[in-house]
Amino acid sequence: MSLRVLVVEDDREIRALIQSSLSVEGFVVQTAVTLREARALLEHAPPDVIVLDLGLPDGDGVELVQQVRKLHATPILVVSARHQEAQKIALLDAGADDYLTKPFSVAELLARMRVALRHRGTALTAAVTVHALDDLRVDLSLHQVQKAGATLHLTPTEFKLLARLVRSAGRVVTHRQLLADVWGPEFTEHTHYLRLYMGQLRAKLESDPAEPRHLLTETGVGYRLAVE
Amino acid sequence: MQDAARPKPKTLNSWIVLAGLLGAATVLGFVMDRHVSLTSQAMVYVLAVVVAAYALSWRESIAAALGAVAAFNFFFVPPRWTFEVDSREHLITLFTMLLVALVISHLVAGLRRETETARLHARRSQQLQELASTLSAAPAAPDTYTLGQTALDQAFTGPCVLALCCPNGELRLPNAQQTTLGDGMHCCMREAAVLGPGTGRWPGLNAWYLPLIASGHRFGAACVEPADAADHAGREHAQALCTLLAQALWRQRLSVSMQAAQTEAQRQQLQSTFLAAISHDFRTPLAAIVGAASALQTQSDKLGQIEQQRLLGSIVGEASYLSTVTENTLQLVRLSNTTQDIKLGWESVEEIVGAVLARIRQRDPTRRIKSRVPEGLPLIQADPVLVAQLIANLLDNALQYSADGIDLVVSLADNGLQISVKDRGPGIPDDKRTAIFEPYSRNDRSGRHGAGLGLAVCRAIAHAHGGTLTLHRRSAGGSSFTLSLPISTQQPQAEVA
Repeated sequence: MSLRVLVVEDDREIRALIQSSLSVEGFVVQTAVTLREARALLEHAPPDVIVLDLGLPDGDGVELVQQVRKLHATPILVVSARHQEAQKIALLDAGADDYLTKPFSVAELLARMRVALRHRGTALTAAVTVHALDDLRVDLSLHQVQKAGATLHLTPTEFKLLARLVRSAGRVVTHRQLLADVWGPEFTEHTHYLRLYMGQLRAKLESDPAEPRHLLTETGVGYRLAVE
Repeated sequence: MQDAARPKPKTLNSWIVLAGLLGAATVLGFVMDRHVSLTSQAMVYVLAVVVAAYALSWRESIAAALGAVAAFNFFFVPPRWTFEVDSREHLITLFTMLLVALVISHLVAGLRRETETARLHARRSQQLQELASTLSAAPAAPDTYTLGQTALDQAFTGPCVLALCCPNGELRLPNAQQTTLGDGMHCCMREAAVLGPGTGRWPGLNAWYLPLIASGHRFGAACVEPADAADHAGREHAQALCTLLAQALWRQRLSVSMQAAQTEAQRQQLQSTFLAAISHDFRTPLAAIVGAASALQTQSDKLGQIEQQRLLGSIVGEASYLSTVTENTLQLVRLSNTTQDIKLGWESVEEIVGAVLARIRQRDPTRRIKSRVPEGLPLIQADPVLVAQLIANLLDNALQYSADGIDLVVSLADNGLQISVKDRGPGIPDDKRTAIFEPYSRNDRSGRHGAGLGLAVCRAIAHAHGGTLTLHRRSAGGSSFTLSLPISTQQPQAEVA
C-alpha cells in the first residue's frame, strides 16, 4: 500500500508542484487549502505524513498540530517562508516534526519526508537507540559513543544532549525542546548553555568542528543530527 | 526662594520682639540711671528704634519710635512714672527724640526695602537662568509642564496654575470647574496679552493671566497669584517665566516636525531605492527565467539534451538569485525601520559560520572557500539569522567576483571579534569604495548581477550589532571585507555541573 500525504497549502502553484512531485515518487496525495478542510480530511482518514504551510487564511496551524498530536504520531512537516521564524518555532515546539523554508527544492522536500517517515510510529514502538553515520557510532543503551572505533568520553550533560538529538536523528530539535529535555523546563531561555555544550560536543565528535558533519546548526531554530 | 510679597506670618512674634527691644532699652536705662544723664538714656532708646526699624516692618518701626518716646517719658523724664513733663527743656528733648526716631526708622526701613528688592531681583534672575538651562535639556512637553509649574510655585506664593494646549489646540485645564480660571486663560491667549491688576485689562481680577506665546504660536496660559497692581517687577518676572516656557515648547515643536520631515525623507529615499531595485535587480533575472522557461516550453523538441539542462540550470540559478535579492531587500526595510530592535542572544560564531558554509557549499562545488576558525572563541551577542545572512552575502559576492580561492577567517582582535572574507578578484576601484555600501550603486565589474543590496544590508546588519564592516585592498590583489563585532566582557557561564 502506498503512503498517503496530506498537503495543506493555500497557494495553487506550490500545491500543484508538491502534489505532482510527490505523486511521481509514488505517494498518494490529498490536498487541502484551509485548516478547516485539513481537519475534515484528518477525521475521515489519517494520512502517513502531513505537509503544512504556515500562514493559511484561517489560522496559524498550531491548533491543528496539537489536535493531530493528541491522536496520532503522524509526522508533520512545516513549510514556511523565511522570517516566519517565530511561528515556525511555535509549531515545532507544539509537536511538528520538521520544517522546510521556501523556496525549497524537491530534493529537500523528499529528504525531509524520508526522515519524517523513518520516525513514524516511534511514539509506539521502541525508540531509536543506535545511531551510526560515517565513523561516528552512538549506542544509547550501552551509553557508548565511538569515533573511528575509539570510545569517546562525554560528560553526563554532553551525553544527555547527544542522546536527545539521536532520538530525533535527522529531524530538527528546537532550542526550547533541547533545553527543556536536557536541563529542565525552567532553563528554556538559557540558549547559551546550548552554544557552550554543542561547542564541546563538536570538538569531541567532529573532525572539523567549524564545518560539522554530524551536529548541524539550524540557525535561529535549533540543531539537527545528520543521518545522510 | 519665596517672594517678599508674602505677608509676614510672624506678626505676633515681631510685636514680641518690639516689646523685648523696648524692655531691654528700659532695663539698660535703669542700670545706667545713677551714672549718666537723661540724654544718654534717650540714645539707648534711639538705638532700640534703629534695631527695630531694621528687623521689623515699617508699621512696627513707627510703633517702636512712638513706644520708645512714651517709655522714655514714663520711666525717666521727671516727674518719673507719669506721662507728664515738667520742664520745657525735657519737652524739647522728647519732641526731638520722636522726630529722630521717626526719621531713622523711615531711613532704615527704606534701606531694608531696597536690599530686599535687590535680593529678590537676584533670586528672580537666577531662577530665570536656571529654568532656561533646565528647559533646554527637557526633551518633551510633559517635562516642560512640570518644570514650568514648579518654577511658578517657587516664584509666587500661589496658587499658580499652568495649562498647556493639547495637539488639537484645546487648553488642557487641570480643573474644568473653575470657570473664571478657564475664561481668564482663554481670554489672555486670545488677546495675546497679560490680564489682571496693573495691566489695564481686567484689573478687577485677583490674579494675573499670562499667555504662553512664542513666534506667534500659542502654547498655553498661566494664572499667577497673588497679583498686586503695583508689583511691576513680579508681573514682569511671571511674564519672563512664561516666555521661557513658550520658547522651550516652540523649540520642541520644531524639533518634532524636523524629525518627522527627516523620517519622511528617509522613507522616500528608501522607496526610490526599491523602485531602482525592482527596475534592475528583479527585472534582469526575471527576464532570464521567462526566456529560458518559454524556450523549454515551445522549443523542447528542437533543443538538445545539453541545451535543455543549461536552460534549466539558468532558471534555478536566476530564481535563487531573485530569492536572495528579495531577502536582502526585505531585510533592509526591516533594519531601516529603526523602531524595531533586533533580538540579541548569546551565539557562537563557529556555529553560524558552519551553518553558512553548509548552505553555500552547494554553490561552491570545487570548495574554493577555505575557512579558518580558531577554537575556544567567546560567544557574541547577536541575531544569528542576520549575521548568517551577512556572511552568506559576503561569500556570495566573493564567489561571483573571484575565480580563485576565497578565505573566510575568524580572529580575535583587541576591539572584538573579526570575520573576514578575502578574495583574489579584480578588487574595487578607489572611487567606488564607499559607493558599494550604498543601496543599489553596485560595482559593475563583472557585467551580470551585482551585489545589489547585498553590501548595504551587510553594513546595516553590522551597525545593528554595534559593529563595523570595512573594506581593505589586499597587497597582492583582491579585496578583503572585515566584519568587526564587539565582545561582551561578561561572558555567560554554563551551569555548575
